[in-house]
Order: sequence, then C-alpha cells, then structure tokens
Amino acid sequence: MRTHRMILLAAAVAVLALARASAAGATAAAPAAGTEATYVGAETCAECHDTVAKGLASSPHGKDGFAKLSAHGCETCHGPGSRHVEDPDNVALRPRIDTLDARAQSAICQNCHSGGKQFFWHGGRHEQKGLSCLTCHSVHSPKSDTARLKESSVAEMCFTCHKDVRAETWKTSHHPIREGKITCTDCHNPHGSETPKMIIAASVNDQCYTCHAEKRGPFLWEHPPVRENCMNCHTPHGSNHLKLQKTSVPYLCQQCHANTRHPGTLYDATALAGQAKASNRIFNRACLDCHASIHGSNSPSSPYFGH
Amino acid sequence: MRKTLVTLACVAAGAWLAWTPAARAASEGFSLHLDPAVMETLWTDVDTHSAKFEEYRDLSSGFRLKKLHIYGEGDKGNRELDVRLQNVGRADARYDLRYGVAGKYSFTLDYNKIPHNFGNDGHTLYTRTGPGTYEIADPTQLALQTAIGNQYKISPAGINYAFLNRLLTPYLDAANTVSIGLQRDRTSARFDLGKMGTLAWGLQYDHENRVGTRQYGGSFGFSNATELEEPIDYRTNTATLGGEWKGKNGGMSFGYTYSKFENKISTMYFDNPFRATSATDPSAYTAPGAGSIGGSAIGFADLAADNSANRLFWNGRAKLGGWWMHGNAGVTELKQDDPLLPYTLNSSITGIAANGSTFDPTNPANLPANSADRKVRITDLAGDAGTRFADAFGLTFRYKYYDYDDRSREIDFPGYVRFHAVWETVPVATEPFSYKRQDLSGEFSWDFASRSTFLLGYTRERWDLTNRAVSRTDEDILRASIDTRAISNVMLRATYEYGNRTFPGSYDTELEETNNPLMREIDIAERKYDLWSLEAEFYPTDMISFSVGVNGRKDDYKKSVLGLQKDDITRFNADFDYEIANGQHLYAFGEYADRKQDLAGRQSGATPSTNPADGWTVHFKEKNTFGGFGWTGKFAKLWTVDVTARYTKSDGLADFFSPPGGAPDLAFSFNNYEDYDLTGIGAKVDYAITPHASAGVWYLYEKYKIDSFILQGLANYLPGALILDANNGDYRANVVGLRLRLTL
Repeated sequence: MRTHRMILLAAAVAVLALARASAAGATAAAPAAGTEATYVGAETCAECHDTVAKGLASSPHGKDGFAKLSAHGCETCHGPGSRHVEDPDNVALRPRIDTLDARAQSAICQNCHSGGKQFFWHGGRHEQKGLSCLTCHSVHSPKSDTARLKESSVAEMCFTCHKDVRAETWKTSHHPIREGKITCTDCHNPHGSETPKMIIAASVNDQCYTCHAEKRGPFLWEHPPVRENCMNCHTPHGSNHLKLQKTSVPYLCQQCHANTRHPGTLYDATALAGQAKASNRIFNRACLDCHASIHGSNSPSSPYFGH
Repeated sequence: MRKTLVTLACVAAGAWLAWTPAARAASEGFSLHLDPAVMETLWTDVDTHSAKFEEYRDLSSGFRLKKLHIYGEGDKGNRELDVRLQNVGRADARYDLRYGVAGKYSFTLDYNKIPHNFGNDGHTLYTRTGPGTYEIADPTQLALQTAIGNQYKISPAGINYAFLNRLLTPYLDAANTVSIGLQRDRTSARFDLGKMGTLAWGLQYDHENRVGTRQYGGSFGFSNATELEEPIDYRTNTATLGGEWKGKNGGMSFGYTYSKFENKISTMYFDNPFRATSATDPSAYTAPGAGSIGGSAIGFADLAADNSANRLFWNGRAKLGGWWMHGNAGVTELKQDDPLLPYTLNSSITGIAANGSTFDPTNPANLPANSADRKVRITDLAGDAGTRFADAFGLTFRYKYYDYDDRSREIDFPGYVRFHAVWETVPVATEPFSYKRQDLSGEFSWDFASRSTFLLGYTRERWDLTNRAVSRTDEDILRASIDTRAISNVMLRATYEYGNRTFPGSYDTELEETNNPLMREIDIAERKYDLWSLEAEFYPTDMISFSVGVNGRKDDYKKSVLGLQKDDITRFNADFDYEIANGQHLYAFGEYADRKQDLAGRQSGATPSTNPADGWTVHFKEKNTFGGFGWTGKFAKLWTVDVTARYTKSDGLADFFSPPGGAPDLAFSFNNYEDYDLTGIGAKVDYAITPHASAGVWYLYEKYKIDSFILQGLANYLPGALILDANNGDYRANVVGLRLRLTL
C-alpha cells in the first residue's frame, strides 16, 4: 500500500517537472498588436477550405438553423478571419480552435450549447479533468451517426479513456452495450450532472428504475441494501457472475448474513451438485431459489423474501 | 419466409412513412437521399441450442434489412427528416425517426426491440394453463404423493434424494420443454419546441412492453425448491413535460415526470410436485424428507407490484461575477398499493392471532390490511458553485442531499406461513427503511502549465439510516489528480483517491438476533479504500497512437471479524491505433485484471456460534483477460476488407479454509469460480460495383465455453431442487452473410 502511494507521488512529481520544463518554450508567435480582425464571410473561407465547407453544409452547423443563430458561418466559432486571409501562411494567424486550451474551446461551443444536456458542464468531472467539447466531438469530421463524435459510437468514444469499462462490457454477464441496444449515455451524462459519476437521475437507484421499474416498489417487506443502493450487490458495467452480481451467491449474501443455521453455513466444493453434501444453497441460483423476491416482497407470508 | 415477408412489409412501411411527407415536401423543394440501404442474407450454424449465442441479438438465418437510412432536407436547409431502420423485422430491430424545422420544433421517435434470452430447452413438469398458472397433472401429483406416503410408512429416512430422483425420473423424461427469455419493446417519443431559443419546451413519452419468462424460485421448503418460469408481462409508461429558459448569464429548467409500472400478471400459482392434497405439521417446511411429508398442494408468488412515481424538478444555473453556480431540487412520490394476497392457499393450516384465537389464513379478509399502502417521498437537493482566480486556480464547492423518506404505515402481522406449509406464530411487522445521503465537497484546481491541471478534492459522504445496525456512516474521501498534455503528443493522467468510512457509536447487534454479532454488513462496515490510476497516451504522428495504463482499487474491511475482509483489483491495459493511409486502419488492445476477495464466515447451529473453530474463510481469485484487434484495408479503390477479433477470458478460484475441529471441520476449494472464455472473429469483404452499390460477404466465428461451479453437474432434479436446467452454456457458431449496399 505504502509502495503504491510512493510510486504515485514519484510519478506526480516527475510529471510536474516535465510539464514545467516543456511549458517553458511553448509560446506561440503572437500577432502584431493594434490590428483587429474583421469578418470575411463563410464564402471566403470556402474558397480555400472547399472540402471542409462542403462537409459542413450537410451538418447542423452548416444549415439554416445555425444561420438563424449566427450570420457569421465558420467565423462564429473560429472568430473573424480577415488577418488569416491577408497572410494565410502565417501559422500564428490561423484561427485554429484545437490550439486553444480546453476551457476556451468549450466556451466557444457554449455560446449556443449551454443548456439541455450541457446544463451542468461547469464544474463537472470531465471539465475539471481538462476535457473540452472537442475531446469527444468533431464539428467537421465526425465518425458517428449521431452526436458528431470522433468515434463510431457513444460507447467507442467513452472507451477511448474508460478502458476498464470496455473490458467489463465483454464479461459474460453484461448490459447489452456491445450489442448496441443501450449505451453509456442511457445512464450517464458525460456533460455533467449533479449526481456522482455523472448519473442522469438523482441517485443510482432512480437511474436503475428507469429500466427496471418492477424493482421500484416500495414493498411491504423491504431489503435495506436494495433500497439504499443497487450497487451494494450489482456492478452495472459487467460481471463474471450471474445477473451482474459483484460476487456469486451464496457468498454475496454471506457478506452480510452469518445467521444461525443455513446462512452462515460453509458452502464449499463438497456442497456442489453431484458431490457428497450437495446443497441447493450453492448450485443453480442458490439462495435465490428460495428467497426469490430478494428485491422486496408484498406477500404477507414473505418477511424473508420467499415469494 | 415469414420473416422475409415481415421485413419487406416493414421496409415498405418505413419507406412510405419517410416518403409520404417527403413526397409532399418534394413539391415544396425537399430533397431525399438514401445512404445507405444494406440488405443481407444470413446462414447461421450453431452447434448447441445455447441461449447465450443470441442473448441480446437476433442472428437467425434468413434475410434481413440490416440498415436503411433515408434523410432529407428542405431547399433552404430549414427542414430536416432523418429515418434510420436497423435489423428490420427482427427481434433486435431498431427504428428511428426525426423530423424538425430549424429554430421551431423537432420530433423524434425511437422504437428499440431488445431480446433477452436466458436459457433454452429447459425441462419442467409444469404446464402453463393460464397467464400465471403452472400445473402438474393431477395423476402425477397423486402418484408422487402416494409413493412418498408409502415410503414414509416403511421408513421415513428412506425419503432421500436417491428415492425422490428415482420417482421423478420417468416424469422428467416425458417433461415439457421450455425456453426462458423475454422481449423488451421500447418506444420513446419526444417533441421539442424552440430548442435553441430563449424558452424551450419538451414533451417526452417512453413506453416499454416487456413480455416473456425468466427463472424464479418457487419453494415449498428447504428440501423442495422448485425453479419455475416467472411470467413477465410488464408495461412501463413514463411522461415528462419540461421547459427551459436560457438567459445571458444563466438559465433554468423545470418539469414534471409521471411514471407508471403495471404488471399484467400479478400472481403466479404453481403446484407442489409432491403433494396432491394440502397438509401441515410443525416440520412441513422440511418436506419431503424424514421429518415430514406434509405441505401445501399449491403455492403462489406475489409478483412485481404495480407502482407509480410522480416527480417535480427544477434546475438552475447562473454566472455572477467570476462565479458560476448550479442548483437542483426535486420531489418524488412513490406509491404502491397492490391488494394483499392471503397468508397461504394451504387450507389445512390454521392461523393464530396475537390474542390466541384462530382464523382461516386462506381468507384475505383476515389480514390486518387489505392492500400494501406503501408510500415514499424522496427529496433531492444539490448545489455547486465555483470560481477561477489568478488565471490558473479554481475552487469548487458542492453539496448534495438525498432524502428517501418511507412514510408507509407499519403493519403488524401475528405470524406468517412458512413455505406454504406451516403457520409460524412469530409476530412480524413491516419496517420503513428511510435513509438520507449527504455529500459535501470542496475542490481546488491549479493549471500549473499549458494544458495541465492538478486537482485536489475532499468529500464528506454521510448516510443517516433507520432500522440498521448503525444509525449513520461517515466517509472522508480525499482525491488528487494530474492531467497534462503539456508535452507535445503526450497525454499523462494520474489519479489517487483515498476513502475512510466509519460510524459513530456502536454496531447494534441486537437488531438482528440471529445474525452473528461479529458480522459486519458490507454497506455499513468500517472500510478504507485506495483507488488509483496511471494512464499515458502517445501520439508520435497524426496517424499513430498508443497508450498504456494501470489502475486499481483496494477495499479493506479490517475491523470486520466476519463478512467481507477485502476486495482488491488491479488492471493493466495497452492500446495501439494506426491510421495507415487511404482508409486503412489497424488497431489492437488488451487488458488484464486481477481481483482478490476475502470473505470470513462462521457456521452456527440454533444460536450464533462463539467458537472460532466454527469459522471459515474463502479467498476468491478472478483473473480476466480481454483483448482484440482490427484491421481495415482498401485496395484498388474498389475492395474493402475488414477483420476484427475479440477474446475475453475469466479464470476464477475459490480457496476455502476452515480450522479443524469445528462445525465445518475441513473445507475444500474449487477452481471453477466462473471460468469462461469467448472468442469472436469476424471478416468482411466488400466490392464497389458502382459508386452507389457494393456487394460483399462477411463471416463471424464465435466460440463460448463456460465452466461454472453453479452450473456443474446440473440436472433437472438435484437434492432439494427441481430445476429447469435450461441451456445457457457452451456454443460454437458460424455465421455467413451476403450483403448488398446501396446509396441514392
């Protein structure tokens, strides 16, 4: 443990030192002072950047709807381009957005995209980690069918950073993400939300109930860890265990229950099907073969979630 | 053939749907494009009938319209139509429609079919005779009851697994075959008015039909667990009406959501294989066995109850000077008021009231309440604010409050019927489990170099609980991270998080009398965790990137004598990506994860054991390997070749230990703690016949193998359990597809 912390601290110091050293020489040539750029019009941009303009014309940013918000076309985002037109070979005068820092990039998009799903962008985890709109989205050359992403789908986009989640979606018990039936943004808002982990709903459970409303209850007999947080027992991205459980039953249940008689009993190899002490509390669905209503029950005779 | 006709019908309907407004619009200067239409014919060969192959998809042989994309716009670009159809007519179809007038309104419709297959070719003695009724033929029930009764007279001890297995085998050999699975059909419609303007309105409606079956345990006792097909016929309807106002320095959104869940089959009835007539005795919950051959002839299960949720919400954001701030408030009411089923259907049982009088427990009029009468109010509030100063520094403060207030009245029952078999005069009362969660955070950020940020944060997470062994838990979480792109073509990220959960006061072990007092439940036990990650990405050229990373989390429950002791995971990953040239692309990736978990338990008799020799521990190891590669090549501008491969493997071990001399004298390990592997290889070749048409062939090979301790040796009847034994296991599949792609 201490070794892990020391390695991380050393890595952090090394990164800081390297970053400071490299930042020293990274100053772009500044334009001459006292000359303000003016708008030249999208048609002027298209004279040289015809391929880009043609692509833009078929996108929302090139259509009538955008024109209602801004009359400046390309220069709405890139800024007035007169100085670049006057001296196109001067790299410093090119109105590139990708060379701006993340906040400046996002500020451009937020001139129009500040509400809706981007409502909680400021202070969100992605913004804090130095991501910008352009980290995931491409105005000019998206690969996805919707949302103008740099990868072919929402999940592929998220997996470029969240590689552990990518691996989990390929585990045997999984939500149908790799089949394309649901995706990351069905539960998370990558633009930020008021709930930890950028969950869309007010809590993990409220999010799960949007698809699993039959678990919403409330029930006559409640199972407290279920009501407090589905993730007490389940891991939503993927699991080696049935039904996205964190651990297989009966051992999952035995993380809370060491009651008298059968809950605290050892279920080892001798209890497997076909073995000397084969027990219906370990094979097949184990505890859940009797405690079927584990998420809560309405039956007067089921205080222990039998039926 | 039927599937092809359905597909063609859907295509025609989709085209009419898209074309009719479009045809009208064409006269007003609306142009339409088809890009693309992809048609395929599949030949699928799978060596077993495992449900795993088509768990969430439909790859059956036959024709399919893989994709149809029609889009169009008005001449001025102010109207837009977009229709996307996928896997038309199949169990995993998806249809999307979007129509909008820029700056005015838009309408979207999404229809998503999601199959979920759990297991094929299970065997069951039951016949489904009604929507929620599963019966075993009366002569079978009577024959089994008679045979067991005769054996009981000769020797009760002879009613054991071997005896019951011999009795059941002829019936199971002639049993019904069932496949377990369900189909979710989801419709989502949304209408937006004035979306990009100052005041926008939106109406969203979601509907889901979920129909099918899934596994359910319908037990008649410790020795008589009966796996059934739970009938699923759900409807979920959710509607949200909301508005949003955008100002120069802020905005707000607000709305109301109503959600209703209905279960069309609220009760399941099922016969007891071993009883044709109902009986009871004090040990009937152990039947059939040496102790009893009693029990109910019929059982029932109260399936998922209808419920509803009403929610009002408000969000606000503002910029004041150098500060930004957000606020959010919501109130939700959950209700569930299904009529209550009686205690039992076992007419031989007599209920005993608190005053000692007796009553008929099969009559719901003798319940202390007619219906569940459950209500919960959830209040959620959140606020955060932040600012930047001296150009390089930032501060953020957050608070979140979530109050789950169960306002249901307590209902007292004088007892209950155990396993439909015997009355237990043990008073039980419903308990509302309310809780509150509060998170208070502060974060400091420092842009220490160009495109580089250091973040330091602290969160205090508090849970206030009712009717739990502790009334409150507090967790202090410290977090630090560095993200930098200051070095050209290099991105580095490092994160570390430390959490420490404690609870004030003592752990109330009297709350659950039968739980061992040394047990600590995982969600409230004292815990420390470390979470860390290091990622590096390199972009030597615009075409090449590769990354390496390591991350992990270690949870320690050191103060728990029983229960979870630790849960550690470490993961390594590496990725490579090369955009070769002219549309050629190569990528490869891999991840390895190593997880270790320790659990401690203690075996008890009638009272919680205090003897350490009765204890046991298990050390779980799970190793997961995941990797893949892909290559796309283009040749002579006419040929496109695409190859992909994916491999995932899990290797698990459950290593048990018990000190000799106690109740579990020794312990024996097993090494198939969910071992499985899945290999998938795909290849596709397309030839461009014309600029608007291409033809091709694709091939998919998949092999899945599982060796799981819970499935090993499974048969229809095992000690104390009648099981469906549906096939969700190994398979090897080959799928070949011919495809035609068109654009217009």
